[in-house]
Amino acid sequence: MAKEKIDKRYVNKAHIHVFDVILVIFFILLSLILIIPMWKVLVDSFDLKTAYGMRFLPAEFGFAGYVQIFTNQTLYRPLMISFFTTIVGTCIALILSTLGGYVLIQYEMPGRNFFANYLLFTMIFNGGMIPTYLVLRAVGLTNTIWVVILFPALNVYNLVLMRNFFEGIPASLFEAAKLDGCSPMGTFLRIVLPLSKAALASIGLMYAVSYWNDYTHYKLYITNSNLYNFQMKLRGMVQGSEMPNISGGLTENTLQNAAIVIAILPFMILYPFLQKYFVQGVNVGAVKE
Amino acid sequence: MKKEKVELTAEEKAKKKAKTRAAIYTHRGFYVMFLPVFIFALIFCYAPMVGVLLAFTNYNGIKAITPEIFVGLENFQRMFSMSAFWTAFRNTLEISIIKLILTTGFAVIISILLNEIISLKFKKVVQTIIYLPHFMSWVVVASLFSLILAPTQNGLVNTFLVQIGVLDSSNMIYFLGSNKWWKPVYYIINLWKETGWQTVIFMATLSGLNTDMYEAAGIDGANRAQKMWYITFPALANTILTVLILNLARIMNLFESVFVLQNDAVLSTSNVLETYIYYQAFNSGAIPNYGYTAAVGLFKSVVAAILVLSCNELSKKVRDGRGIV
Repeated sequence: MAKEKIDKRYVNKAHIHVFDVILVIFFILLSLILIIPMWKVLVDSFDLKTAYGMRFLPAEFGFAGYVQIFTNQTLYRPLMISFFTTIVGTCIALILSTLGGYVLIQYEMPGRNFFANYLLFTMIFNGGMIPTYLVLRAVGLTNTIWVVILFPALNVYNLVLMRNFFEGIPASLFEAAKLDGCSPMGTFLRIVLPLSKAALASIGLMYAVSYWNDYTHYKLYITNSNLYNFQMKLRGMVQGSEMPNISGGLTENTLQNAAIVIAILPFMILYPFLQKYFVQGVNVGAVKE
Repeated sequence: MKKEKVELTAEEKAKKKAKTRAAIYTHRGFYVMFLPVFIFALIFCYAPMVGVLLAFTNYNGIKAITPEIFVGLENFQRMFSMSAFWTAFRNTLEISIIKLILTTGFAVIISILLNEIISLKFKKVVQTIIYLPHFMSWVVVASLFSLILAPTQNGLVNTFLVQIGVLDSSNMIYFLGSNKWWKPVYYIINLWKETGWQTVIFMATLSGLNTDMYEAAGIDGANRAQKMWYITFPALANTILTVLILNLARIMNLFESVFVLQNDAVLSTSNVLETYIYYQAFNSGAIPNYGYTAAVGLFKSVVAAILVLSCNELSKKVRDGRGIV
């Protein structure tokens, strides 16, 4: 129905104004500004010749760049590390945010306010880069894969978002669970989590994006290049210091562009299907807080 | 009520204690559930806070050679006498604030215009496209732009400028390596990456806007521009304020975006406090002076804390008592 496709305000409008045309042109241009750099990278990644300037399609089409990434051990190892840390990290981070958020809504629990302030204070003050580095080194986490998984896993901001979401769960459900003899953990697993699927999806996606895109924590806490993730590898390749030996027919440029595409790909694939959840996370945080 | 110290009798005290103990017992499961969160915060947040005491020592990581000793405020004196520190501090404020104003401003304009699009399908497509760059890592964005802005035949921008005759091919501009160009280019890249995403929150506000107002204004003879200026823009005012306050609280945290776009040639223009600390601690070649860098970090953390607390107060004032922490 036409009604659903057109903004309500304009349903009864007789004709399209010049302004509407200008508007459409403006947004097409804006979209082009955003798409052109991505398009160039995509085209160049399939182009076996070094492509000068902008092309609409590759001059000499081939998958060599991608083949290289999946067959060269120095390239697919970082990719596997990216997948591993993203999956494990997101799970741990979600466990911490949901547990913490759930405990923070127990207003009758002695010490609840202390715990809330204990967490909120970390949003106000932090020890800074160097003391944090020295602590992580002292507990033996630096130069292990666990530092990039565990250190970012506690995100108090997202924990508070979770708490806000849990507060919307009707109190009667908790009462009923208690009367039925459900333990706190049982209530958490059987009532809280199943009712929070949307929040879990939104916040889980935020965690997944930040684990996948992580660069800073690797740069600061990991010097062993065997533990680098794909972002670190990509950075090294574009800066030219860590170009792997590439076999004939493939230019550095093609490989760099293919690596950029791979670094973006997982979320570009998920994004159209999950856009709702991506967007929701922001709104839960800022508008409805 | 009169302010009277309520003296509890021993019996009442005991009763209260017993009650608390009972409450603790019934909530025992919750304490166990909070334990992991507690431990994470203890190790990753509170231990480093204790670590700021390093700022008052000359600890350098090699205890055997120079035992760490208390040097009082020496590190801070040294810091305040360093011109590189002041440059980094000024850059942090300048870059963060200009970036914040530009991104928010453009996001507001784009949201107001998006709100005017008639076809909802077209609007959805545009929104999908402009949100995309937000999900790219800074490494990807830096890689992308260093390829596009490269001062070679391969750089899209330089080639384009040569083609239209603004430049000749022998003196292409190394945008990311020029002190003149670095900051403008940094702002543009930030706009490219984050403006679209910033519109999400404004669009959410606008979606809750009552369309009757537009109709009423239309009956009163208001044109499109007037409606945008007198209805849409004021409707966003509160959200704009919220966004500004939320982001102002975080302006000291600038690191990754600057770090991946800077290089040795533009350090003086682009260094911010966090990158200054990084280079001083990890990249100076000499024995790292953890004491000094911890001092710079402590200064940064204190300024950040003051900003967060002020923004919190500000937020409570303008957002009906809702704080940001």
